[in-house]
Amino acid sequence: MTLDDLTKTSGEWLRGNGPESDIVMCSRIRLARNLAEFPFTNRSSRAEKGEIESHFKSALAASRLEMDYFDVNVLPPLDRQFLVERQIISSELAKGEGPRGVAISPHENAAIMVNEEDHLRIQYMLSGFRLHEVWDEINNIDDQLEENLAFAYNPSLGYLTACPTNVGTGIRVGVMLHLPGLVQDKSIDKVFRALQKINLAVRGLYGEGSQAFGDFYQISNQQTLGKSEPELIRILTDVVPQVLLYERQARQRLVTERRQHLHDQVSRAYGVLKTAQTISSEETMLLLSSVRMGINLGLIDDVSIATVNELFIQTQPAFLQKIRGSELDVEDRNVARATYLRSRLANGRMAPEP
Amino acid sequence: MICQRCKNEASVHLTERVGGKRKEIHLCSACAKKSGLGLPESPPNLALDAVVQDLILTHVGELVGELAELACPECGIKYMEFRAGGRLGCPQDYRIFGRGLLPVIQRVHGATRHVGKVARQRPGAIHRLRLRSQLRDAIAREDYEEAARLRDQLRLKDIHA
Repeated sequence: MTLDDLTKTSGEWLRGNGPESDIVMCSRIRLARNLAEFPFTNRSSRAEKGEIESHFKSALAASRLEMDYFDVNVLPPLDRQFLVERQIISSELAKGEGPRGVAISPHENAAIMVNEEDHLRIQYMLSGFRLHEVWDEINNIDDQLEENLAFAYNPSLGYLTACPTNVGTGIRVGVMLHLPGLVQDKSIDKVFRALQKINLAVRGLYGEGSQAFGDFYQISNQQTLGKSEPELIRILTDVVPQVLLYERQARQRLVTERRQHLHDQVSRAYGVLKTAQTISSEETMLLLSSVRMGINLGLIDDVSIATVNELFIQTQPAFLQKIRGSELDVEDRNVARATYLRSRLANGRMAPEP
Repeated sequence: MICQRCKNEASVHLTERVGGKRKEIHLCSACAKKSGLGLPESPPNLALDAVVQDLILTHVGELVGELAELACPECGIKYMEFRAGGRLGCPQDYRIFGRGLLPVIQRVHGATRHVGKVARQRPGAIHRLRLRSQLRDAIAREDYEEAARLRDQLRLKDIHA
């Protein structure tokens, strides 16, 4: 598998199936692990980072895991950005220095970052609300790697991590939710405050510190010590249905009280995306969000959720430049984005180039 | 707080450790000056890190003051560097800085004991962390003979790992 192959496919987690997939885009778990015999990444020398990387590669090769390793250190900036957009690596790993990389599974469900804040950051994603399945998968990956790696661990504090906020289980259990209804009826802040009170974190689509866009929000645990992995998962599986209920009620209110306005908003959004000649990333996110909600409410029936999910990722700058095969400035990207949207939304037919 | 000599408001507070016992002195600025403890009139020409250190002591508190000089023998990180940057240097820091870290961990997680998945026991790993830190030191002081010896020892252990 090469990075160019990835431009022709999309991650399984965008497929838009699985339980509650009208609102739950995907379920994701990540585990932070470190090798006991090395300093944490920020204190490791270049040579040590190289050794960490080679220990990991040997353990991966000895396992039954089918994953391809990409050496992020030698990738051009555009390719690094492309992996960030696909949610495969963090921007910290992209911006880092020295030996580092990521192993990716064929359908992009699993990704293991090497020499990020922790030596290993294992993540597993599935579309829809399926945290238990995600846990089974990632637990298996962790077990297989541990066959040949000595993880930093002590019995009273659990898995030891570079930042004490991750110590213990090293787990972050999250779901990515599409919440346009709560955003439109302005009750989203109230919901977030309630979640924060029970120690759940809310972040935007691209993780820590990023602005929520396209009305996507990640909800995840903050505490990692003192509760077992299944207990932490249960907090999410108990709370998320409540958020889904609020979102469905908000959508229902929009349908009953402002049906015409809603239908107009959704149709205009779809119309602009299908016909625009130049469009910014921000406008695209905003309009795709309306279209996604429109499909789920039965107002649009000739485009699939999977297509719309993919477009959130595939209208990002690095993807557009990868498929064009050249670097583009902002204005050229806006034209390329509009062209790509027209081609994808015209039932798969390529719109003729001018 | 009242000056111990003249009952004016104390503005100089000094904590000393004499033979394992803590001794506290509180003085007003006039009495402090008489005892040679006063602050200079004009801003002193201190080195920047001394100023930073002083600010940290003032704002982060006494426990940090005592921990401030503590450094990890394995990775070399100082407790103060962790407090400033938020990242630890190596797995052994949890033991070395335990006294400072546990309150932080309690505050963040509401717990200080791990429950959940248990890793395999690998007793050799800590020894290897030590060998690696010795190797780093040997390279830093350009003792290549020692570095080569340590590297061989690590290689040997790799084979037996």
